[in-house]
Amino acid sequence: MRRPFFLLLPLLTFALTLAAPPDKGLIINLDNGELCLNSLQCKSGCCHRRSGLSLARCAPKAAETQECSPKSIIGVYYKCVCESGLTCEADKSIVGSITNSNFGICVDPNAHVL
Amino acid sequence: MLGVWIFALFLLGTVRGDEVCYDRLGCFTNNIPWAGTAERPIARLPWTPGKINTRLLLYTRENPNNFQEITAINPSTILASNFKTNRKTRFITHGFVDKGEENWLHDMCKRMLQVEDVNCICVDWKGGSLCSYTQAANNIRVVGAEVAYFIDTLKDNYGYSAANVHFIGHSLGAHAAAETGRRVRGLARITGLDPAEPYFQSTPKEVRLDISDATFVDVIHTDAAPIIPNLGFGMSQAVGHLDFYPNGGEEMPGCQKNVISQIVDIDGIWEGTRDFVACNHLRSYKYYSDSILSQNGFIGYPSPTYESFKSGTGFPCPSGGCPRMGHYADNFHGVTTVSQKFYLNTGDAKEFSRWRYMVTVTISGSFSVRGYFNIALYGSNGVTRQHQIFKGSISPGKTYTAYIDVEADVGTLNKVKFLWNNNILNPLLPKFGAQTVTVQFGGDGTKSSFCGSETVREDILQTLNLC
Repeated sequence: MRRPFFLLLPLLTFALTLAAPPDKGLIINLDNGELCLNSLQCKSGCCHRRSGLSLARCAPKAAETQECSPKSIIGVYYKCVCESGLTCEADKSIVGSITNSNFGICVDPNAHVL
Repeated sequence: MLGVWIFALFLLGTVRGDEVCYDRLGCFTNNIPWAGTAERPIARLPWTPGKINTRLLLYTRENPNNFQEITAINPSTILASNFKTNRKTRFITHGFVDKGEENWLHDMCKRMLQVEDVNCICVDWKGGSLCSYTQAANNIRVVGAEVAYFIDTLKDNYGYSAANVHFIGHSLGAHAAAETGRRVRGLARITGLDPAEPYFQSTPKEVRLDISDATFVDVIHTDAAPIIPNLGFGMSQAVGHLDFYPNGGEEMPGCQKNVISQIVDIDGIWEGTRDFVACNHLRSYKYYSDSILSQNGFIGYPSPTYESFKSGTGFPCPSGGCPRMGHYADNFHGVTTVSQKFYLNTGDAKEFSRWRYMVTVTISGSFSVRGYFNIALYGSNGVTRQHQIFKGSISPGKTYTAYIDVEADVGTLNKVKFLWNNNILNPLLPKFGAQTVTVQFGGDGTKSSFCGSETVREDILQTLNLC
């Protein structure tokens, strides 16, 4: 009964070590496309899911003129946060901030000055 | 123990001179070079056509979603189908442990039918692919012969010329296409999507895919690392008129994900498991599929090695232009009788298309600082993300050059934005800016220059307009 376990354990550890070369991680420093629970885990800084039921994966941040969400404490986004230097211009509502659906557009705050 | 194995291999190697003959298709031997050589130690004869059961599944604009099965053994099935002789015909076939009903073949057909009116035929030979590798590597000879027989039937019954035929084969399927090309002279084109390496690399050209198999042979290499010890399933050898090595041809971006993330794929567990087993190898048909809808997203640059490509060899395209990897490779006019190698970078997930630019930035500011800076491109068709140009010591007055592969076709450039950061608190509040930014597109060599006069604090975008 215990035998399969003995076999499985080294196999699993082998698979995990194979899957994790030194420069990347299983838990932090995740590449785009890897499963995540929070944006802090991703190299890109955005842990993205398509819908409430789908799994979250690391994804690139939104560029200017693309759809975005403002930074939230939830840490998982339906639309990624903007790249640095940009702000997500969105109509914020209380319901939106609870359901994480205050979507907006990335804009450059400096562009208005010109 | 090792001695026993060597002896067994030796025994297997000496069994030669066998031959099988099948009606319609002719005879198949396992003489040298088909077996008994260093590259092909184990001799196997191809299975019977009945057992391999090569099936032709036709999709056209009239039936893009459900195939019609056609066969040359019973030509009335061709007459009754939507096959039209005034259209080009493209065959697609799969490789080892795969089947013709697999989604990727049908998806490729659907994409083709979006851009052109063709007879798209998926060739299924799962009867001969789900077996030992050595057996499958010989079964493809029958598969190639079956397709050749079909083309011959078209020629006899309808006067349909082989010059209208394009055969796309993945892995072992690429060598099946080669067999068809050897039997039907004057095939317009064969596309090898990461042709299989074991039993084919370094073999004589009557065994493997080669320039002589069709008027035009183009190959995409995505898993060219050696089978031992890297488990690279594809050939590194250049075997076509044009050989493309996206991302260097050995390690594809997006294929180094951890086990769970790889298997639990966006496209489902099945796609994920396939990628877990052979991610690099399967990328070849994904790139091809994407290239159908993105005509300029896969420009290949001529270069002897990937390293020199990364440092700028072949950039921008020579006056004759560059070929496009994938579907539009046959638009290239510089085809010669020797293999030419082309390099490019792709994305890590679909859409895989990328546009390559050379960016040259001259920095202005007060003093040097260690950090990085990015450039984003703004054009008539859209914007790109910020791409890192340099990381290290940023000094005012210095010029930095980098090649970037951007994810969008932005069209005619009208401005760029510069942003720098060094991820630490800067009590001196240093300011940097880009004096001049020159951006050159690799595809046609067009250059645009942008000028800026201001400097900005970290994490603030500086806009540069055309000058």
